[in-house]
Amino acid sequence: MSESGGANHDRANIVTETSGVDRLAGVPAVFGAVAFVVGWAIVFRWVHVTDVLAGVTYATLLSAGHVLAAVVLCAVGVLSTTGVVDTDPDDSTGLFTALAFGAIAFVGVGLTASQTFDTGAGVWLPASVVALVLVTVAVLSVPEDLGVTLPVAAFELVVGLAVLTDVIGPSWTWSPHGFSASFVGPIAIAAFAMVGSLLCVWAGTNASQGFGSRGRELGAYSLISTYAAALLAILVLLIVFVVQNGIDQVLKGAQLWPFKLPFVLNGYGLQYDVNGIFPAIVGTVWLVVGAVVFAVPLAVGAAVYLTEYADQGRFTRIVETATNGLWSTPSIVYGLFAFAFLLPRIQNNVTLLTGQLVLGFMLLPLVLITSREALQNVPDEYRDASAALGVTQWQTIRSVVLPAAIPGVLTGVILGVGRIAGETAPILLVLVREPFSASAPSVIGSFHFTASAPFVTNEALLSPATALPYQLFAVITAGVGASQEFGWGTALVLLCVVMFFYAIGITTRIYFRRKLRQ
Amino acid sequence: MSGASTTQAISRSFGELDWPARIAGLVGALSLIAAFAAFIVEPGAVVFPALVFVAVALYGWFAHQAETARSLTFLATASTLVILGVITVYLFVKAVPILRQMGASLLTSAVWDVHGGRYGLVTMMWGTLVTTIIATLVSAPLGVAGAVFISEIAPKSVREAVKPAIELLAGIPSIVYGYIGFVVINSYMMDLFRLPTNGSLFIVGLVIGVMALPTVVSVSEDALNAVPNAMKDGSVALGSTDWQTTKSVSVPAAISGISAAVILGVGRALGETMAATVILANVTQLPEPLYDVFGNTITLTSAIASQYGVAAGRPTQLSALFAAGVVLFVVVLALSVVSQTIERRMQQTLGGDQ
Repeated sequence: MSESGGANHDRANIVTETSGVDRLAGVPAVFGAVAFVVGWAIVFRWVHVTDVLAGVTYATLLSAGHVLAAVVLCAVGVLSTTGVVDTDPDDSTGLFTALAFGAIAFVGVGLTASQTFDTGAGVWLPASVVALVLVTVAVLSVPEDLGVTLPVAAFELVVGLAVLTDVIGPSWTWSPHGFSASFVGPIAIAAFAMVGSLLCVWAGTNASQGFGSRGRELGAYSLISTYAAALLAILVLLIVFVVQNGIDQVLKGAQLWPFKLPFVLNGYGLQYDVNGIFPAIVGTVWLVVGAVVFAVPLAVGAAVYLTEYADQGRFTRIVETATNGLWSTPSIVYGLFAFAFLLPRIQNNVTLLTGQLVLGFMLLPLVLITSREALQNVPDEYRDASAALGVTQWQTIRSVVLPAAIPGVLTGVILGVGRIAGETAPILLVLVREPFSASAPSVIGSFHFTASAPFVTNEALLSPATALPYQLFAVITAGVGASQEFGWGTALVLLCVVMFFYAIGITTRIYFRRKLRQ
Repeated sequence: MSGASTTQAISRSFGELDWPARIAGLVGALSLIAAFAAFIVEPGAVVFPALVFVAVALYGWFAHQAETARSLTFLATASTLVILGVITVYLFVKAVPILRQMGASLLTSAVWDVHGGRYGLVTMMWGTLVTTIIATLVSAPLGVAGAVFISEIAPKSVREAVKPAIELLAGIPSIVYGYIGFVVINSYMMDLFRLPTNGSLFIVGLVIGVMALPTVVSVSEDALNAVPNAMKDGSVALGSTDWQTTKSVSVPAAISGISAAVILGVGRALGETMAATVILANVTQLPEPLYDVFGNTITLTSAIASQYGVAAGRPTQLSALFAAGVVLFVVVLALSVVSQTIERRMQQTLGGDQ
């Protein structure tokens, strides 16, 4: 790819204004942006392809848009290559772009040959390979302005005409051989809209800058920005969706004065007018507290040893590998381990204590990694200054290093707590006997001191409990229907609890990072 | 070598102590080992050595705080290793019976015959493989694109809002995804794609992919961010556009960090349990034909989560589930080691303390 532009054009060193082509190229770009949204709206079933807008169905509108975009792109390409408008294309389109178009041709020809004309692999495979090679070579052999616009225009024209002539209409279905799924017209039209729109946005914005390296930059940027916007939109929609479905259940019977929030503050049983999830909330709180009590001292201690005492070498590397291994171990494996190792040794039954321990095991590597990072981030000048004053190593650690690292450690703990609070798999096997319980475990009130071993007992710690994520799982296994509302409510509360921890953790981290940089 | 030097350092500091401290150290170490042994063999007796250890630690804290702190932090480090060790040992030990019974066919047979007591893991491994591939296809390209957007394209104000938002989204519990998948997406897919059964590998892959997205975005963005500004500035000074710099300098420089992020995402997808369990019907049969991603089968994780209850009374089936756990554990551990090696190499390449 040479960066020197087409030699037959006058090149201005500073591009001030591109002639009308940028406005023309805006047409496919705008169509692309609109079609992208409409495509998603069809997938989410906010609109249906046969719905009518201004007397025309969405299917027709979209396909007309495809054809229009194709015509305009063609025109832009031709205008640019004949020198009518002043653009700055390279001699050839990049290999990656050419291969991408080739791949689209491969898929298109392959699907048409094998499915529409029902040919065997002996026919469709060579045909699609030929299409791949032809398109790739063709795109590579023309100047960039044609290589960018014409393939996109061809794609747009084909899908636009296919829908417009009802070859692939709203009532079309396709059941590919060997797959259980069938593809129906609306989905195909939406897929065309999305792929076509991305291509249009890319080609349109590329052309609007007069091709060349500036065009490629804008093309790539607009493509990636569209991706990123879609990604964020999906994730935000997820949260909105849960809130929308769960809010009614959470606020059922709620009132401000006297304060009542029955779904959150009630248990589950006949004595309650609104069944609630209070026991599960308390169970989750105790699980988290137990895990923190178990894991944080261990993790911080280990982090101190690794950073302050140990020689950096094979030993620290082994521990590091082990911690990272522990961190990435699937949560269900922790559950299985607790089921085999802890369960028979603690009451031989499901207990709150086992749940706390297994979540503590999960929390340990997370806190260790972040604490270590925090300790390493404490500037060596602090340690040196303290040592220069004649302070011993331990006193330096206690009164200089640890206080300086506390924000980082705290952030790690909070983020870790957010993660384990939402975990279902590890406690699946070791915690719950009755997911929908009427009363919450009372851990503080259950300590009893005895004269014989083990001197302290706690009935609540050694009894089964329930937890928010498990409760959601139980709603699913109990079957949908009447309990679905209950599930959405639980999901919303769980989401709030976890998001709360994450929000605090991330905010403190940003705050302290900024402070550190000052 | 440095392990040895650690031991030397410990014995040196041990030699500097007076004799009550030496005895206390010995008693403390022995009581802790006894407590651990007691927990393995006779959990009821744990309390006695544990009390001794607490007493010794308290004595040490007040008489020799520095040495005690050092020993206690060392013990904390050791216990991390011990925990990983115990997890590994117990998984393997529990998986031995089925391995002895089935031999190598445990990993090559697709039979899951509860009544005949014959188990093979191929069905589960296939399910896990297919869902992981789909999830990676979803999360890797989108995730990297998202990272490039945040790190290279977005203006500063957008970046500062989007990055924490993405991290926040990484916290959505998997069971919530699973619930949405179970209640909404399953019926949607049955309706729109005319799937014959509730749940399919495709849906699971899609959901897990979306679930892994924030992690991939966030870690790849860290990698892109770690590319020294001097490298980018050099490229821009030569007259490249920002996109050329991104394409030819930033991404290649960060490629190992980005691949580590993708591997991390793959690890997440492999180990994801709840979404797979609640979305799939968990039938222990391979899809027919094999490549039917819209078919219904089971994954390693969902096999464990959905069958442990019925398996509690059947030692062989339980052992087979442990074998599934071992496969998961080994694969994920291997992935973790690979991604660490990549990351370490990246640090060496980018070099220095920039």
